[in-house]
This record gives sequence, structure tokens and C-alpha cells, in this order.
Amino acid sequence: MADNYTGPLERIDATRWRIPKSYKPGMHVDGVIYADDALIAAIKQDKSPEQVANVACLPGIVKYSLAMPDIHWGYGFCIGGVAATDPQKGGVISPGGVGYDINCGVRLIRTNIKFTDARLQMGKLVDELFNTVPCGVGKGGIVKFSKPELRKLMTEGSRFVVKRGFGWESDIESTEAHGCIPDAEPDLLSDRALSRGSDQCGTLGSGNHFMEIQVVERIDDANAAGAMGLVEGNLAVMIHSGSRGLGYQVCEDALQELQHTPRKYGIELPDKQLVCAPIDSKEGKTYLGAMRAAANFAWCNRQIMTHLAREAFSNVLGLPAEKLGMSLVYDVAHNIAKMEPYDVDGKTCQLCVHRKGATRAFPPGHPELPDRYRGIGQPVLVPGDMGRASYVLTGQAGSMEHTFGSSCHGAGRRMSRGAAIRASKGRNIKRELAERGVVARARGRTGLEEEQPDAYKDVNQVVDVLHSAAISHRVARLRPLGVIKG
Amino acid sequence: MPAAEALYAAIGELATDNEKSPFHFEFESNDPSVLLRDFLNELLILFERDQLCLKAIIESTFTASRLIVAGSMAPVNLERSVFHREVKAITYHELNIREVAGGYEATFIVDI
Repeated sequence: MADNYTGPLERIDATRWRIPKSYKPGMHVDGVIYADDALIAAIKQDKSPEQVANVACLPGIVKYSLAMPDIHWGYGFCIGGVAATDPQKGGVISPGGVGYDINCGVRLIRTNIKFTDARLQMGKLVDELFNTVPCGVGKGGIVKFSKPELRKLMTEGSRFVVKRGFGWESDIESTEAHGCIPDAEPDLLSDRALSRGSDQCGTLGSGNHFMEIQVVERIDDANAAGAMGLVEGNLAVMIHSGSRGLGYQVCEDALQELQHTPRKYGIELPDKQLVCAPIDSKEGKTYLGAMRAAANFAWCNRQIMTHLAREAFSNVLGLPAEKLGMSLVYDVAHNIAKMEPYDVDGKTCQLCVHRKGATRAFPPGHPELPDRYRGIGQPVLVPGDMGRASYVLTGQAGSMEHTFGSSCHGAGRRMSRGAAIRASKGRNIKRELAERGVVARARGRTGLEEEQPDAYKDVNQVVDVLHSAAISHRVARLRPLGVIKG
Repeated sequence: MPAAEALYAAIGELATDNEKSPFHFEFESNDPSVLLRDFLNELLILFERDQLCLKAIIESTFTASRLIVAGSMAPVNLERSVFHREVKAITYHELNIREVAGGYEATFIVDI
């Protein structure tokens, strides 16, 4: 990874640090990083705070350039970054603020299955998932969509695949934006993007993507857990994936097309990877339309895998998924840009909120939430690592005031992939995980080494910071039991 | 060729079938590092979409504004290959190419 950050970091309070806008020329606003003392020491080990400062240079950025406690170094924007820009003030959209994997996100499926009843079947369940869910390099999906079908899929989102039998009607209501951002423009996608996506819908991919069987280990908020159907001691399934090659290509095409746009609009940038265009410009609208289409593809991708996970459980346990209570708790994106209303200086403004490795975290009462979550706040799904834990949180009022309705998206890497492989030398990660009670299956030779628990920060610390800051509230802690990776 | 090999090494240990097909790429840009990135990006797409892998370069011309590469590709044998990870994209981040004795040295970062 990159060198240490040596610039200024001023303590605001117990959970926030400021990079003042006086730090470098061109910063329009301060940078603000959420972290406690221990995490900030780790965060300074790479250049991600510098990236927070760079993002503060984007035209039209409002209030501050933010980073969540799982911040780590990314391309242009840091991972864990949040930036809101105002189109009325020349605000820009930047593909680097969304990332290559558009609408990478997480969904959680609850079950009625008690861990104590399924303990002896765990190996079988993991094997069945591994054989049912296409994962890893070169693995196509169970369904190949023609280009016209893909365009329809990207217009309709999750509903398109649910109508074809890949899931339940109730899944749609439990998905952010009902699995479909309006104003998607699939006709703006290149042939190359469509061809990369044609057989990848319903595939996990590789890298940090996974499907995990978990047990609800601890309930922190019984009321919220009850609304989500989470029961201590019961199994759950977490899926982490995104828009696959189609989304990568949309980002790639946009980075190419926007190369000269900053000069055209007189925008000076401290990093080439931050290329951007005014939201209301032709170039900005083109990217937004294509990005929304890719986001809808990603929701369909996770929806098809939900169907496959239900099939796998049903095959092993001999009961239909409905009897196993495998309903969707929620699905939420963590790589996306969306237009959302916020109060700025006493006025309601439609802002373009970039979340790159940050999860939407709307508080109780927010009109976008389904009825069953209106009273508790939006479920925020925070995968940790393969060995420790993941969390379910709910969005809190502080998120609207301080973080543009956003929270963390995971534990955040603390080791590069190369360092993780070096740290695995002479060890057997699969066996180590088994000793911790986790059955792991991976197609890639180095996948488990690169993704080993030590490669990540402690998710407990990350979640504690945002709980203390009243951004999101702990509901349940889930422990991994089985994981499949590409 | 070494840049292509570096990309393939990130993906895995790729085995190919004997059948070969010719290719001819031409890229133009005022930035030599972007030429390299575009070439690698083309290879990535051909690998992911068509399961093709560069086998040999017969002709290459690299100037400050143009890259021409011609040679042969071969189908990747998915059964015999060992995959490490999926490469999403060749990024512009810290992209760099410099002339050294006897050739060029380049840095590129892939997103995985």
C-alpha cells in the first residue's frame, strides 16, 4: 500500500478528527474522519487521509469530505468515503467516488434454523452453497441474458428477476430503493459492458466478495432484532457482491470519457482518478444514467444468488425455503451515488451523495424505509471478517445531521493483499478457520490468505465508534460458521 | 510482453490450448502510460469475455503517442488453469512508465 499520512489531524471529539481546509490549496471544506484513538493510529498508516483531503477539492462539495472508521486507501477516493455535492453550486459527480464495483453491497437473509439443530450439517450446507452459487474467475451464471433482456433487467431492477422466479415478492420491499433506482439508462452502456454482464448476473465473483452462513450470536436491541426477524442462536446468510464485469466496465468507460472533462469545465483536481463532471452536464448525466443501470444489475445479481442460497438450504435440509423462514432482512448498497434531500443552512437541498465503501443509514421515520423498519431505522449491514463477526445496526438521527445518512460498510483492510499473503506463509488459513469453527471453501488459490481475519481491522472497534457517535445503533452481532469465496 | 505476463500472473497460472488466433491492436494517446493501460485493458476484456490469452507478440511499436501490437492469442483452458483472483480493472492510479536501459519499466495497479 502507500506511505504514511503525515498531514494534520485535529481532534474534534472522542470519535471525530478534522483535516482543516487550510491543509492544502484547493480544499473547499474540511475533511472529517470518524475514528477512536486506536483506529486513527492505524488509519495514518496509509495515505487514505490524504485522499479525504483530495476529495474536499471537488467542486460543489457540501459541509465536509467524510470518512468512516473503516477507511482505507482506494483509487482516488478512499474506501469508506462519503461526499455530498450540490448541483446548484456546480457540484460534480465522480465515478471514482462510487468505485469500479457499482452497487457493491450486502444482503442478509434470516432463517428459523437453530444452529444447534444444523451444527452437524454445516459442512454439507457450505458444500451445497459452493456447488450451487457460481463463484470465482470464469464462472458464468445459471442464466444468460440477451442484450435486450439485460436492458430490461437494468430498467426494472430486482422485480425483473423476481418475476422470473428468482426470489419472493417480499424481497423487493426489503431492498434499498426496492432494488431499482429510477432514471437508469441502460441504452448508454457500451456493448462491451453488456457483453461482460450477459452471463454474470447471479455470480459471486472473487476478491472480498463472499456468501457466509452465520449464527446470530448476540442481540443488542431486542425490539429492532424482532422487527428484522433475527433470533439469537438462529442461522442467517449474508451475501456480499456487486455489479460484476458490467459495473466495472461502466466505471471504466466513464473514466475514459471523463478524462478531459475537468479541463473542459475548468476543474482542477489533485488526482487523475478523481475525474468528474458537473452533475447537470451532459457528461455527468450520462454517467449517472449508466451507473443507475449498473446498480439495478447488482440488485438482480444478489437477488438471483438469494434464490440459489434458498435452493441450497432446501436441498440439504429437506424443507422448502419458506418453511425455513428464509426471508430477506435487507439489502443495502455501499458503492453508489444517489440524489437525496438534506437540510443545508436551513434549506432543503437535493445533494448527490457519493458513498464509496459506506452504507446508507437512514434513521427511524425516514419516508424511504419500509413500514416494518419505519420505527427502528434502516438496517445497516456490516460484514466483518471470516473469523470474527459481522453486525446488524440501524441508522440513527445523527447520520442525517453529520454523515449524509451514511455509516460504515465493513471492518476495513489493515493489510494489503500482498502483506496478507506474506503473513500467511507457513500457515494453513483454512485449517485455522476450521479451528475457530468456520468451514471455508474458496476457488481461488490465494483467496483465503488475502482475506484472512488478520488482514482486517477489528469490526467491533469500527462499529463501536459509530454507535458512540449516534450515527448507527448496534442491533445484533453475527458469528461466521461457513463461508464460500471465489 | 512482461506487462501482459504481470497482468496474467495477478489472475493466476493460465494454461492455454494450442489453437491460436491473430490479433492486431492500435492505441493512440498523448500519454504513453495510458497507451500501456489501454493495451492491458484490452487483454483483460479478452480474457474475461472471450477467455483468450496473449501467446506471442510478433510486432510492436511504441512511441510517445502510439502503441501498435500484433501477435497471437490462444484460448484459456479453464480446467487446467489455476486462478488466484478476478481482476476488475486496470486503474489509472499511480500509473507510470519510464524509459530505462534496453526498454521501459512500468507501474500499474489493478483493482481486484
